[in-house]
Amino acid sequence: MTPSHGPAIAFAAVGLKLGQTTVLRDVSLRVVPGSVHALVGPNGAGKSSLIKALLGQTPHQGRVALEWQGAPAVMGYVPQALAFDAGLPMTVNDFMAAMTQRKPAFLGFARARVEEITAALERVGMADKRTRRMGALSGGERQRVLLAQGLVPAPSLLVLDEPMAALDEAGARVFEQLLADWKQAGVTVFWVEHDLEAVGRLADHVTGLNRGVLFDGPPREVLTPQTLLELFSTRPRGAPAKAQEAGA
Amino acid sequence: MMFFDTLRLAIQGWAEAGALPGALTYGFVVNAVLAGLIIGPVLGGLGTLVVVKRFAFFSEAVGHSALTGVAIGILLGEPYTGPYGSLFGYCLLFGISLNYLRNRTGLTPDTLIGVFLSVSLALGASLLLLLSGRINIHILENVLFGSVLTVNSQDLAVLAVVALLTVALSLPNYNRLMLASFNPQLAAVRGVPVKAMDYLFVVLVTVVTVASVKVIGAILVGALLVIPAAAARLLSQSLRGFFWLSVLIATFSTLAGILLPIELALPLPSGAAIILVAGAVFMLAAIVRGLVPGLKGLPS
Repeated sequence: MTPSHGPAIAFAAVGLKLGQTTVLRDVSLRVVPGSVHALVGPNGAGKSSLIKALLGQTPHQGRVALEWQGAPAVMGYVPQALAFDAGLPMTVNDFMAAMTQRKPAFLGFARARVEEITAALERVGMADKRTRRMGALSGGERQRVLLAQGLVPAPSLLVLDEPMAALDEAGARVFEQLLADWKQAGVTVFWVEHDLEAVGRLADHVTGLNRGVLFDGPPREVLTPQTLLELFSTRPRGAPAKAQEAGA
Repeated sequence: MMFFDTLRLAIQGWAEAGALPGALTYGFVVNAVLAGLIIGPVLGGLGTLVVVKRFAFFSEAVGHSALTGVAIGILLGEPYTGPYGSLFGYCLLFGISLNYLRNRTGLTPDTLIGVFLSVSLALGASLLLLLSGRINIHILENVLFGSVLTVNSQDLAVLAVVALLTVALSLPNYNRLMLASFNPQLAAVRGVPVKAMDYLFVVLVTVVTVASVKVIGAILVGALLVIPAAAARLLSQSLRGFFWLSVLIATFSTLAGILLPIELALPLPSGAAIILVAGAVFMLAAIVRGLVPGLKGLPS
């Protein structure tokens, strides 16, 4: 049995309305400690909003709780993208320093972080490109760097927002290895993903979200043609028409 | 202030003894050079964040709002040579309200800055017309374009305090200020108080701008937060090069802009001369970047 150092995540009746638009409706689900829990759904289903609620970045109804086994530890987050000027003279090293230390990045690495950052870049296969400018990297390479920042400091909970979207084949292999390592270490992974094949293969548990929870369970049981048809149809069963028209 | 008086006298003494350039035998030149040595590195360093966070238009607007701050100060009876109370008060109000409304209204920063800038300039122009009978309107030239002749020990003390405050607050938060603009959610997960960082940055840009108005002038002060960093961005491949080159260009431009008109007896306002030098460096940087493929991230 693998050790479970990560927390459980409990979403209880989470709701979110922006103006007249229902973004999330009565979302209740539980992420088991140390599991890889995927969240799937069409664009505008409220996946990013649910992540924002989890990260405390949006006011919402209901309750989101992190249930740590002991003192709260490190939470990591890998976003879909960064908003920065592609011409900015910021190398991969500079970016990693800026993400992980208080010492100004233009003064170089803090001594305490050097080994960790080097190890993280090696794990994602970007150590040989660490002096390249972030803006000169391909989309897949930049995504690997975003994954690397999520490794420093070593997290117990990781929230991943479509980390495979820009990855090439080699990058996808790196990600799958990381996922296996996190599972082994008992890290809780909450993973928003569009690639259903990858979710079916790699996740322990999957939730289908389209403003509300449409299904929740092990991938082999819940990822059926019928549930996916329901999830990705424009008007999910049981949802009021008004809510379907608005974007999340 | 006594520290600066003593320092000025010492420098004048060294210049008279031939150890330093002859221009430094004049007290106002020493004051101006000391001001430049304080302003240059601070504006150059902070300017890198202005460019990273795309705050160039904001820094220009805050500089322009200083004009209204001066008018309010004179109206309230502050000395026209240094109405710092109204200058800091009005410009901070300008910057903080702008940031507050940006968070509340969802309007893009450039739209909101456009509104604030126009209203502020309209208010300043109206007040100055009211004041035109009470003051020598030529004072305005100094406010608009800067004058090294008017820098005194009090101005140097204000500059030094603002510079120390800026360094003390911006260096430990340099990474956090950048991160907050790259991805607010990621910043929050990493424990960065994103909104507080936004306000901190607005306040820092505002106080540095206001403190530099005397030397560079309200119209041009924002430019020295942008041009050196923009030139450095063209020539750098890392944050280390970007930051230090920006500091170097800003300091060089400030000192050259102060000393060249004096040495060459050119009737130029200091602010204009400083920005012209910085602009020349920027043009040079653009040419060098065009000639060296490696600077564009391409193989040489």
